[in-house]
Parts: sequence; structure tokens; C-alpha cells
Amino acid sequence: MSDKGKELYNKVKSKIDTTQKEGTLENKFGMFWKLASNMKFRQHELRYLYEDSSREFVEKYRDQLIAMKEEFIQNMDFYVEKCIKVMQEANNMTVYLAKTNEEAQDIFMKEIGETKVIYKSKSNEAKDIGIIDVLKKNNIKIKETDLGDVLVQLFDYKLPSFGIGPGAHFTREDIVAKIKEVHGVELEPKASAIVKFYRETYRKELLNDVKVSLTSANVISAEDGTILLGENEGNISLLTRATEKHIVVCGITKIVPTILDAVLVAKLQTRINNVSFSYISLIAGPSNTSDVQGERVLGMYGAKEVVVILVDDWRTKALKKDKIYKDLLKCVGCRTCNYACTASRAFGNIFASKYGLGADGIIRDYIHNGIEAAVKDGLFLCTGCENCRHWCPVSVNLGEIMKSIKKEATKAGLCPPPLMEYQQKILKEKNPFK
Amino acid sequence: MSKLIYLGCLSTRLYDSTCKNAIKIIQFLDSEYQVIEDPPCCGSLAFNMTSDDVMKKHVEFVNDWFKANKITELVTICAGCYSYFTRYYKEFLDSEFTVKIQHFLQFLAEPENLHKLNLKYSGNNLKVNYHDACHLRNSSVPVIEEPRIILNSIDNIELIESVYNKTKSICCGAGGGVYSIFKENSDYNAKTIFDNMKKGKALLTACPFCYTALNRIRDENNIKKPVIKFEDFIVKLIEGVDPIS
Repeated sequence: MSDKGKELYNKVKSKIDTTQKEGTLENKFGMFWKLASNMKFRQHELRYLYEDSSREFVEKYRDQLIAMKEEFIQNMDFYVEKCIKVMQEANNMTVYLAKTNEEAQDIFMKEIGETKVIYKSKSNEAKDIGIIDVLKKNNIKIKETDLGDVLVQLFDYKLPSFGIGPGAHFTREDIVAKIKEVHGVELEPKASAIVKFYRETYRKELLNDVKVSLTSANVISAEDGTILLGENEGNISLLTRATEKHIVVCGITKIVPTILDAVLVAKLQTRINNVSFSYISLIAGPSNTSDVQGERVLGMYGAKEVVVILVDDWRTKALKKDKIYKDLLKCVGCRTCNYACTASRAFGNIFASKYGLGADGIIRDYIHNGIEAAVKDGLFLCTGCENCRHWCPVSVNLGEIMKSIKKEATKAGLCPPPLMEYQQKILKEKNPFK
Repeated sequence: MSKLIYLGCLSTRLYDSTCKNAIKIIQFLDSEYQVIEDPPCCGSLAFNMTSDDVMKKHVEFVNDWFKANKITELVTICAGCYSYFTRYYKEFLDSEFTVKIQHFLQFLAEPENLHKLNLKYSGNNLKVNYHDACHLRNSSVPVIEEPRIILNSIDNIELIESVYNKTKSICCGAGGGVYSIFKENSDYNAKTIFDNMKKGKALLTACPFCYTALNRIRDENNIKKPVIKFEDFIVKLIEGVDPIS
């Protein structure tokens, strides 16, 4: 047992103490998350939106989804190449395949040129790929547009939050108090008043001032290079139309073989979370017209340029080198694992990393920043219950990945001392309680 | 001897009367089953943190112990032992591991055993919940239907399914050795399991880890509904005692 191991164990214990202290940010998030995750859990059984429950929907399509994801993973090079070719040749998109996150960051910085303000939609991929960090490092202003992320920015909230509703843990009262403090405007503590405020003050800016916008992609179809983006607020519609340049940054595992596969994934993302997309954009190139004597001109009313940065980084390596986290390649980004997770439900945003809540966030931190980061994030809080696997629509076994990372942590001397004692007794005395 | 009752380290250490009850039931059904003093631990608490090469040596040691004692079949009352024997011993040892593994619930649910036990409840309709332990539902041969078969076979006992059950059950927070380092996990999750019982009057479990976590939460939160180990429940039925007393 190394000193570092003891230090990290005590750090996690101290973080747990923080979640138990009333009024701390971690405690507030934890209280919210217990309610929210339980509600999300229960919604799986309800039939209030459609004839079938979300659980029934997932079970109906599970085998199809898994087969489709496996087909993609086994032929990843083929589908990535096919997708890039059709995007470039048929869709007039500028496409890059970045081998590493760093390469993607460099391409992104070159593409934004002299622009000092980037408007972005919610994107967990941008965090994974390090785009947010590089923008901050270069003093480029990031303007969030999803209301949840706008609120996170308003509060300057640094802790991890729920990817689907990143600002949902702020109370109405806290929000209006913060708006008064920052903008000097007094609002009634009502959701409708808060929405009205941003509609009246921010919508104009989004319609008129956006030069470069950044989105991820919910999913991309390899057969026709179509990017699918789903949303409710309309911010993505504005960012992809009322802009000069729309930049899409995402991992190559967002690609699926066909457009029908893409629609199924999008439908799954909504059904499993019991939400519906008000808008689904199928983006297959920049805005254009051929209305002047049939001559095609790019950049009519919508984006003049669509730039796609597809990022490999850990993905091909995971597959070809049989990395312990390769199951993550199947992930469709629905976030169900966040609220199905025992540890996440109990510990909220201290069982997490800057890449997101739960085991998914911790595994990504491990991939990018190594074993110490994962232990600090609460690796050993995972019970290995595999609820993530059972609830996942494509059966990704995060529990098994966490177990492998725990073994690596033990090798590095980072296992919590009481567990090490049990291990030693089992191996030497053949009984953990002797 | 060839048939072993494998009680598991946790039950042996903490739950002596449950061990005695399990032995009583198993030997009533098949007198060839015997207990051997001080068997080696299956290693379940170490699997999550020990490298495969080190773990394999332990697994080989346990398998050699089985061979030395000529064990061909075993019944365990520990969900953790069952999970690791069926899932990981096969992975490590492949055809070298030949012991037939059964969990107590599988053994009990065999038609001839249920027939021989002839379980009855003389009281009025008793509603009970069964908690699906992760170790049992996740193992390579999942134990999910067996407790339901057993409970549904008993007159006047009504199984109430919890809001989340079978493969979607909520973990008690004790798995992976987490109970020994961060009990706070079970503070929330074990409480949620009680909240999801609906009309059940008692919570049955076949996992000593779950029992430990659930019973602590019951005590700390003054929850009236008792947590009962499956073996104790069955013995009380056999003896005609109120099974949830």
C-alpha cells in the first residue's frame, strides 16, 4: 500500500463527507440526483407518452442495436472511410480524421481562425476530445446555448453534472437570485419567467451574431454522410443555420452504417430517457441554392461551411489492442448508465469526473489521464452490480471495465487499505476474516 | 465423500444459526451432503482487485482442495461464492474445474426436493418480497426464477414483486468489497430497496452480503419489515413457526 493509495482513499472519504454536509454543492447535487435518478428509473415502466414503455421499446430493438454497433466496430475503418468520402464528395463538407485529441484540437483552432467567440450546443464529446480545455487555454470565449449549460455558466459551476440536464439541479429561487446578481434583472422564481428572460435577451444574439458554432452529433450515417442532431430548445437549429461556419466535433464511434440505423439510435436516445426531440436535424451539407440558372452556390441562408472533425484518439487503439475499455465503443450516449448506477445514485457528482457522471465519466478520465485520476474520481465506490449492463440498450458492461481498472489500481498500490487487508488474508490465510 | 455444503466465509463468521438451518435442510433432502471444517475462501472479495495471474493461483489452490477432498458437487448458501465459482472458476480453469456448483435456491427448487419438503404456511395470506442479489442475477447461470418457484409453491405465501426486480433490481451497496470501505453506498440504496417493497410484509434474501447491509439499514431507520435469510424462512415454515417472527 503506497502513501499515494492512502492519500487517494482519504480524499474520496473526505469527498463523501462533503456530500453529507448540508448546504455544500455536492450535497445539493446529491439531493437532486437521488430524486432525479429515481424518477428516471421509474419512468422506464410508464406508458404515458407512447403505447409501449421505454423498457419495452429498448427490449424490442436491443438485439438489432447490438448487431448494428458490432457490425460497425468490426468494420470501423471501412465505415469511417466510407463516411468521410461521401461527406467530402457528395455533401460538400470539409472533413478531417484526427488520430488524436491533440490533433483534433489543432485542427479546430485552425478552423476557427481569428474568431474569439464560439457558440456551442451541449456536447459531452467536446469535453472528451478536450475542445473545451483548448478553447479556455487560448482565451476563446465559449458561449453555451443549451439552457442547462447556460445556467451552469451563469453559476460558474465547476463540478460534474447530469449530461442530459446539466443545470437541472439549480432551484428556481437560486437561478433568479443569480440572474439578479449578474444581469440586474428581477424575475419571478418560475421556470416560465426564466425561459422568457433568455428568449428575449439571448435569442436575438443567436440569430444575428454567431459566426462559428460548435456542435457534436447524436449520430452520423456512413452511407450518406448525414449528421443527425436532436434537440428540444431550438438552439441547435439556430447554431447550425444562423452561422457562417458550423463545426462538428465527435468521436468516430458516432458513425453507424445507415441512415435508418441513425434514426433508430436517435429514437432510442429519446425513448430511453422519456423525452422527445422537438426537432431532429439531418444535416447533409452547407446551405446552398441552384436557383440562379442551375448554378450551385454554397451559403444561402444557412451555414456557408460545414466542417466535420472526426476523432479517433482511444477508439481504434481500444479495438485493435484489445483494451479493457473496448466495450465502450458500443455506447450510444443515452446516459442511462448514469442513473441506473448504484454508486452514482448514492454519491452523486463525487462519483464522476470532468467528463461526466458515473462509471462512464471515470473510465474516460482513466483513458485520458490514467489510473490515479480514476481512483481519485471514486473508482472503488463501484460495487460491480452491473446495473449499467442490464439497463444499457446495447449491454455495455461498465462494471467489468471498472473491475479491470481496479486491478490495475491495486498493481499501482492505489487500492484502499481495508480492501488490501482482505485480499492479503484471502491469499495467505485462505479466509478474509482470520 | 463427494457432496459438500459450502457455507462461505461471511455466513460462517456472522450467521451461525443460519448455517445450521441450511445444513439441516440440505441434509434432510440429501444426507450425502457434508460440511468440512475450515474450507478455503472462494476468493470473491479479492477478485475485484487482484491481477489475474495472482488470482489464478488462489483458484487453483481451492480447486486442488476440492480434488483432495474428492468433491464432485457442492451447494452453497452464499450468493458471492456461487457467482465466483460459476463465473470465474470456469474462466480460469476451464475443463480443469469439474465440481457441480449449485446455489441453495437452485437445490431447493428442484421438483423432487420441493415435493419432499412439502412446505406449508398455516397462517393467513402472507405477502413477502424477495430481493434479487446482484451475485445471483449476474452469474453465468443466473438464479432468478428459483426463489419465485419456491415461494409460489407454498400455500398462503404470496410473492410481491418489488418495483425493481430480477435483472433490474437495485444493488444493496455491499458488492465489490465496497461495504468494507464506503458503507454510505448502502445507506441510500438499501433504504431504496425497502421503499420499493410495496405491500410485502418481509424482505427475503439469499445473499449474506445483502442481508448484512439491509439489516443494518433496517435497524438504523427503524423499519418494521424484517429482513429474513431464505434458509431461516424455510426452517421456520418446516417447524411451523411464524416465518417472519
